[in-house]
Amino acid sequence: MTSTSRIPIPTTATPTRYASGAEPFSTTPTAAAAAISIAARRSILLRTPGSQARGRLSTAATPHARAAQRAIDSRRAALLTPHRARRRSVREVRDSPRDFLLNLGRVLARTTQPITTSSSASSTTSSPAAAGRDGDGSDDEPTLGRIRTRPGEDDDDDDEALPKRPRLSLPIADEDEDGSIGSDELRPHRSVLIDDDNNFTMDMELPRREVAGGQDRFSLGSARMSDYFATHDMLHSEDVGVDSGFFPPRGMLEDAAAGMTIEVGEDLASPERLDVEPDQRNRDSDFAFEVPLGEVNESTFVMAPEVQESPDRTAAPIEDDEPIPEADGGFAPLMDQRSDDFDIDQDLGPVPALDDEPEPDMTRNTAWTEGESMISAMRSSIRGLPKKTIRISKHGIEYPSLPASMVKRLAQNFAKASGINGNITPDALRVIMQASDWFFEQLGDDLAAYADHAGRKTIDESDVLTLMKRQRQINPRTTLFSLAQRHLPRELLQEVRMPPPIVPKKRRKPKGGTGDENVT
Amino acid sequence: MAGQKLYPRATVKKIVKAHSNRNLTKNADVMIFLDYMLFMQTLMKEAAVEAKKGGERSVTARSVKKVTADALAKFRG
Repeated sequence: MTSTSRIPIPTTATPTRYASGAEPFSTTPTAAAAAISIAARRSILLRTPGSQARGRLSTAATPHARAAQRAIDSRRAALLTPHRARRRSVREVRDSPRDFLLNLGRVLARTTQPITTSSSASSTTSSPAAAGRDGDGSDDEPTLGRIRTRPGEDDDDDDEALPKRPRLSLPIADEDEDGSIGSDELRPHRSVLIDDDNNFTMDMELPRREVAGGQDRFSLGSARMSDYFATHDMLHSEDVGVDSGFFPPRGMLEDAAAGMTIEVGEDLASPERLDVEPDQRNRDSDFAFEVPLGEVNESTFVMAPEVQESPDRTAAPIEDDEPIPEADGGFAPLMDQRSDDFDIDQDLGPVPALDDEPEPDMTRNTAWTEGESMISAMRSSIRGLPKKTIRISKHGIEYPSLPASMVKRLAQNFAKASGINGNITPDALRVIMQASDWFFEQLGDDLAAYADHAGRKTIDESDVLTLMKRQRQINPRTTLFSLAQRHLPRELLQEVRMPPPIVPKKRRKPKGGTGDENVT
Repeated sequence: MAGQKLYPRATVKKIVKAHSNRNLTKNADVMIFLDYMLFMQTLMKEAAVEAKKGGERSVTARSVKKVTADALAKFRG
């Protein structure tokens, strides 16, 4: 940064001079060579922005330092270029006959009238020689066909071919038609564009830009980017403000916006992508994990109105026409497992499809129901209709199954809470239903055992409490009420709160009873 | 709460009654349902873990089947 403070930065002057110096068509070969060498050196210096351990390189990264370096370079270029080239900032102007015309004008000003634009014919007649002859009285050297105001500068121009014969006027119409002639006057204007760096970069770096475009999605510190950086810095070295390295490649941002749908294989070609991936993955998973956790409490509340409808539907077990002819009259009313499904708005597309293909479901269903009751299994296999399973407990009491909608809702809520947002597939729902059937079966057994043990004919809350204790659901840290508060809606909470005074009483009973069977 | 049931209490009662061949007291089914919710929570949590392990995006029948036995064993009284 010391260089920055040291060097006055002629920001307006330098770019033009630099551009002029680096132009391949520069008038003097020395100037061009110097400029090119400078450019090359700079490109080398700036090639590795990441590893700027060396003295001057370390400063090159910052915009100020770059500006300072540019100033130095331009100064050096100015030193290396001949005097005259330095004085005239723009090469086109140097090539153009502007000075020539200026001098001519100076000479002719006394003798001639101001030239009107329309009179192109008359102006072309005034060749340099003629002009020189005209200006004999004022200027000294008309012989060369040029007018020189400064004899010392002539050395450089001697090498060149003679400049195009100037037109002293600008016929606007002609200029539009053939740019080659008319553009002589417009060159200064173009040079302004050249200072804009864009043309310069276009001229110099087209092939490299192709490469840079290919590496568009690379990330910051990559080794491959070094080339890209170098070109970019060189291209924009005049442009102090924006360092391209500050911005991540466009592709990265897009992907970040796109979110989770990124495929790893898609970008395997670039090593950086692999680095980017895990971060995004983690973020996604975090999201997925965080969001549902907040909803756990809500879900139990939301669940309530939906569930409420189900018993009405279970009341009307047989809905479709198929089972009616097949359903034997001797059996008790069949409980439709999926009777709830038909009313609910949830995705039931697959469920009707089961009617069409009874075979696989039949086998599966028999496999499940076997554990519960042989009768129902035989029933389902005979009828081939999986959804019309009759469930009869081992006590010979047939029972309904839980409404599938409620089970699905519960399962979905809990799955969300544990970080999986996807819908529960019908297959999974069937398995869950089966699991809950089994659960209720074993729960009924256990509760009956507890009640028997307590010498009761009815199952009451204490039995359930005991069961939950034995299930390790209730422990000194987790009370029944905390669980109820967490999972049950408020209306049901009140009912849970009712029994506590009774509970200690009933606890004592089993203690007072047979001590041996406490374990059950 | 008037006329509103938050889950099919009658259904739950019927199920438990059928399996235990016992009657239930008035509010026992609430706790039973609470227990069922806990079971479902356990089941789905483990199924979700299993699904994640298997690289599935949602809970599938396979993952649930795998964890059903464990969950049931955990909830054996």
